[in-house]
Amino acid sequence: MGLLPDQLPWWIAGPLLGLLVVGLFVVANQPLGASGAYVQTIKTVRHDTDRVTWRVWYFGGIFVGGLLATILGPGVEIRQGYDAMTAAGWSAPAIGVVVLLGAIVMGYGARVAGGCTSGHGICGTAQRSPASWTTTATFMGTAVVVTFLLTSFTALGGS
Amino acid sequence: MPKQMNLVGGLFGAGFGFVLAAGKLHDYDTIHNTLRLTDFYVFGLMGLAIGVSLPLLWILERRGTETRYGGRLSLARSKVERHHITGGILFGAGWSIAGTCPAPALAMLASGATYGAIAVVGLFIGLWLRDRQLIAASQAINEGDGERSTLPGTKTLGAR
Repeated sequence: MGLLPDQLPWWIAGPLLGLLVVGLFVVANQPLGASGAYVQTIKTVRHDTDRVTWRVWYFGGIFVGGLLATILGPGVEIRQGYDAMTAAGWSAPAIGVVVLLGAIVMGYGARVAGGCTSGHGICGTAQRSPASWTTTATFMGTAVVVTFLLTSFTALGGS
Repeated sequence: MPKQMNLVGGLFGAGFGFVLAAGKLHDYDTIHNTLRLTDFYVFGLMGLAIGVSLPLLWILERRGTETRYGGRLSLARSKVERHHITGGILFGAGWSIAGTCPAPALAMLASGATYGAIAVVGLFIGLWLRDRQLIAASQAINEGDGERSTLPGTKTLGAR
């Protein structure tokens, strides 16, 4: 609907996320982590007895919120989503394989580390947890190095 | 946790997903350009999110704030262990390659990007694979030692 700017400025989106983190602590004394929501969703599908139901609602909420912002903003557009890889000359199946493998490694790593960009990167660091600051510095540093390698040695870097 | 907590979880999830999509964090280019250090959007956003929440949580904790559903506000300050480094390296590599992370991948799919579904499925597979290992490891411990029911730390991992 074009009611939102193309991209919310970082100095608005950042504090909003920060307030959501504080809000969930004030209401429920809980961190706002996305990978944990995935884990609880798996447990629910498997009918595991020690699942945390509200995290499954949280999981669904992320999807609904993303949809809402898209409807109010640019509108839902069915597309592949990896134009930069297509522009680099990669075929659609190849992009699918790259994204799938990347996501598997990411999910596995999130479970090993005990959190992801939200759980460790924002929520854990805000709790002043040494483990979260270490994890965040590690994944940020690794991601910058791997991106440097990808742009240096594959067509992703452009010509 | 009371039943209303489900609604609270849904609302906070929606708020989170909304901000992520409005900030285009579900867009490959936003993540990729930040990680190749040509655009500092994500760094600025995360920095301010922490800059706002860290001092507020600190103050609330010091004042001994009673939370609505979770008792007295308590922050977790875990000490660094090896798995934080190894997990961080794997997560960072996957983040760079797929150009998205767990919550933005859901928002990406919601916005109509079909390959967001591949990222979400991949995340489920990766998380599930590690879960299988943890369960197998805790069962191996059970066979040797009847008192321990889970691996130390597996519960807190699941709660993240």
